[in-house]
Amino acid sequence: MDLLNHLALGFTTAATAVNLFYCLVGVFLGTAIGVLPGLGPVATIAMLLPVTFGLEPVTALIMLAGIFYGAQYGGSTTAILVNLPGESSSVVTALDGYKMARQGRAGIALATAAIASFFAGTACTFLIALAAPPLSEVALQFGPADYFSLMVLGLVASIVLASGSLLHALGMIILGLLLGLIGTDVNSGLPRFSFDLPELADGVNFVVVAMGVFGLGEIIANLHDQSDRSLALTRITSLMPTREDWKRMIAPILRGTALGSALGILPGGGAMLSSFAAYSLEKKVSRHSAEFGKGAIEGVAAPEAANNAGAQASFIPMLTLGIPSNPVMALMIGALIMHGIQPGPSVMTEQPALFWGLVVSMWIGNLFLLVLNLPLIGLWVRMISVPYHLLFPAILVFCAIGVFSLANTQFDVYFMALFGVLGYLFRKLDCEPAPMMLGFILGPMMEEFLRRALLMSKGNPLVFVTRPISAALLVISAVALVAVLLPALRRKREEAFQE
Amino acid sequence: MAMPIRSPKDFWAGLLYAGFGSAAILLARDYGWGSSSRMGPGYFPTVLGSLLLLIGVASFVRAFVARGEPIGGIAWKGLILVTAGTLLFGFLLRPAGLVPALVALILVSAAASVKFRFDWKAMGLMLVLVAFCALVFVKGLGLPVQLLGSWFRA
Amino acid sequence: MKRLFAGLALGLGLASQTFAAYPDKPVTIIVPFPPGGSTDMVARAIAPRLQQQFGQPFVIDNRAGATGAIGATAVKNAAPDGYTFMVASIGVYAINPFIQKKLQYDPVKDLDPITVAVRAPNVLVTNPNFAAKSVPELIALLKKNPDKITFASSGAGSSDHLTAALFWQKTGTNGIHVPYKGGAPAITDLLAGHADVSFQNINAVISHIKAGKLKALAVTGEKRSPLLPDVPTLGEAGVQGADVFSWQAVAGPRGLPADVKKKLHEGIVAALNDPENRKRMEDVGFEIVAGTPEQMAQFQAQELERWRQVIQVGKIELE
Repeated sequence: MDLLNHLALGFTTAATAVNLFYCLVGVFLGTAIGVLPGLGPVATIAMLLPVTFGLEPVTALIMLAGIFYGAQYGGSTTAILVNLPGESSSVVTALDGYKMARQGRAGIALATAAIASFFAGTACTFLIALAAPPLSEVALQFGPADYFSLMVLGLVASIVLASGSLLHALGMIILGLLLGLIGTDVNSGLPRFSFDLPELADGVNFVVVAMGVFGLGEIIANLHDQSDRSLALTRITSLMPTREDWKRMIAPILRGTALGSALGILPGGGAMLSSFAAYSLEKKVSRHSAEFGKGAIEGVAAPEAANNAGAQASFIPMLTLGIPSNPVMALMIGALIMHGIQPGPSVMTEQPALFWGLVVSMWIGNLFLLVLNLPLIGLWVRMISVPYHLLFPAILVFCAIGVFSLANTQFDVYFMALFGVLGYLFRKLDCEPAPMMLGFILGPMMEEFLRRALLMSKGNPLVFVTRPISAALLVISAVALVAVLLPALRRKREEAFQE
Repeated sequence: MAMPIRSPKDFWAGLLYAGFGSAAILLARDYGWGSSSRMGPGYFPTVLGSLLLLIGVASFVRAFVARGEPIGGIAWKGLILVTAGTLLFGFLLRPAGLVPALVALILVSAAASVKFRFDWKAMGLMLVLVAFCALVFVKGLGLPVQLLGSWFRA
Repeated sequence: MKRLFAGLALGLGLASQTFAAYPDKPVTIIVPFPPGGSTDMVARAIAPRLQQQFGQPFVIDNRAGATGAIGATAVKNAAPDGYTFMVASIGVYAINPFIQKKLQYDPVKDLDPITVAVRAPNVLVTNPNFAAKSVPELIALLKKNPDKITFASSGAGSSDHLTAALFWQKTGTNGIHVPYKGGAPAITDLLAGHADVSFQNINAVISHIKAGKLKALAVTGEKRSPLLPDVPTLGEAGVQGADVFSWQAVAGPRGLPADVKKKLHEGIVAALNDPENRKRMEDVGFEIVAGTPEQMAQFQAQELERWRQVIQVGKIELE
């Protein structure tokens, strides 16, 4: 009955008027910021940190957490409406969400995202309440070799992301891996592909690439062909999912939640992979796999659930071990220290009200998100019917300011322009950017873990098969690779015969 | 021309991959190869660069074998103006401040649209947008930039 | 004519600077690291207190990148008028020149020291299951298994990497250096036992030590830390000459006007010594230094010389 006592403590902490108010403020701010392309939760939380100094620690943390998952949610809205993924997680949401929007089903896509996020958030809150400490112990079992094998699996999954030619999918993945290597090599400290620019010493930020390739690239392409666009948006069907939609989204939401929770607890950056993995999995198992990339509702439901579950689960290593698995969590830890609380294993026992208050507030926050966003859907849908020639300068402005705010440097704005040109080229050549973005995330992590694993094993490559987790992941990768390649090759043969 | 290019998209994409791949290999020459048990910083980039080069060649070959769609016209106006507007924004932001940088970005990029008219309505919307950004980002969130930079100070 | 005009403007500018009471507009504090780390925390602790004292906003500008070189270069290029200064760490002031080949700032010539703000010893930590339970045991183990024990660090050329190198040099041992992207993943692998040993900032590991998830073998200060009264110093454990602190200090661009520098220095020292701030800092393991600019210059010179030697002797170069 510990759980009930804990949850009761959490509710009495989180449901005070002050905490509810700041939870709402955080969620609202987060959504607003997430909707603005480019402006992410890291910059926002950093800027708002001083505001929280006057608050109680638990109140401050509730508000900051609200900004975090609010921003995750808001990011999907932009991805669906204007094909602008501001976070790694919403890259895949944009694939089918944006297609749905162009088919006049923007409202349904947004509602699906909201419902999937809410379900995943709720499930994950219970997961944290039930089993945070043992889960964090499990997560610690993942060594460098295991992470490397996980990245291999991610690489296989990235092939599934592409809907066109296999050759171009491979090309874009490798291009992404290479772009991800820009910056200082972790193992040797040597800057690579940086052309002696200190601004490239830490690599290119994901958001810079995404804003350039998706944002600017899309704008340039749309400007060329303005008549098309407004036409596609005239017939907006119902805003809410139909019975059929509901039926199709349930299983993907469940699978996405499970996958997101599992990957999210890994402190070594698993949460970033969750939405990609969920999308790839869904595309493989779905009965509607042919619709993926053309506006499949599963392609929105699964990654959105996985993304929110992963975001929520990344609190587990932060709260139980004091380990940040992403920059937002690092900021949260900074905020805790500034409030005189030392994050770590002792938080749960020494500050139970803080721990359980935060856990419960996450669920309340997710409820706020749902309540806040369902009525807003109509407004958003109307927003994209604004004539494009008036809308696009605003998008461009938010992209530019957002990208600048990442590190307060104009160089990121220049790089965004460069990637905008590249993004337009990709579009013209039918090279899909989504696999490239996953490669971009995987590249540096994969190399880092590979080299660290070999360094620690004194150069023995057998670690990858003797460690059970790693071996299991490699077997799954091999099976998945066969499952991915076979149909593609078969299709190719058929095509050859047809010609 | 002995062999006609049957798939121009494959042709150019192949060139793009091969270009990036070769560049990666060339740049990584200086990075130290190491050994397969203790890889140097040049190992991974060289392997990836070679793979990309191979894929580029494959795509290149396919351009002459498989049939593909034409590329279509390039939106030079949009490409140049949107890129220029963004670069100008980055260049102006620190010295001139947020407001002039935004005005430059909006005016230059808007010129790329055939439908955009520089009328009162558009100017009004621009002012609203600039004011919104100034309020939200600088006043509200405390973004460390000035509204009017040092260029406008005596 | 043009030159005359420029000279006149310059003269007027200077005049207005000296006569107007500093500060009469917002002041930018550059932090050359991302928000959330130790250096950022120090800056965010003093900013609101300075704002209160001077009645002008003190805005924090996180200019992360190239282990602090980007932010430091921005400070170098800022006008030396007191409206831009920086809070940075040991790496920016004393290590980067030996690690980065094309550094665009000189930590002595381009920066005007104001004060060392805080310092904290590093802690030699291991996983509780690791074979060595004390410094002598660790040294014995290292001698028996040269190049077998893994030392996690927060990056190649980081202060904890160099502390490990110094430790090896002073004890005549060697280990495998395993760099990570920052301290957090290094600590994660120590907690899990994937890596064996690490020198970490005390504030980053204190909660794990108290919870028994990491074992502290020694602190690198010249005296024991009040947070870990039972843990010996390296000197007590028999390793002399390896007292190391990680430190955060405040500096402006070279050539700050004397009156502005004096005012800023007094303000920052007062902010650091604020009882509430002092308690908060000491609770997480920092020691308030708040000395004079001259003391900082002298200390910085010592540190530069020391790390130059460690890097030279250890042949630490970026491949």
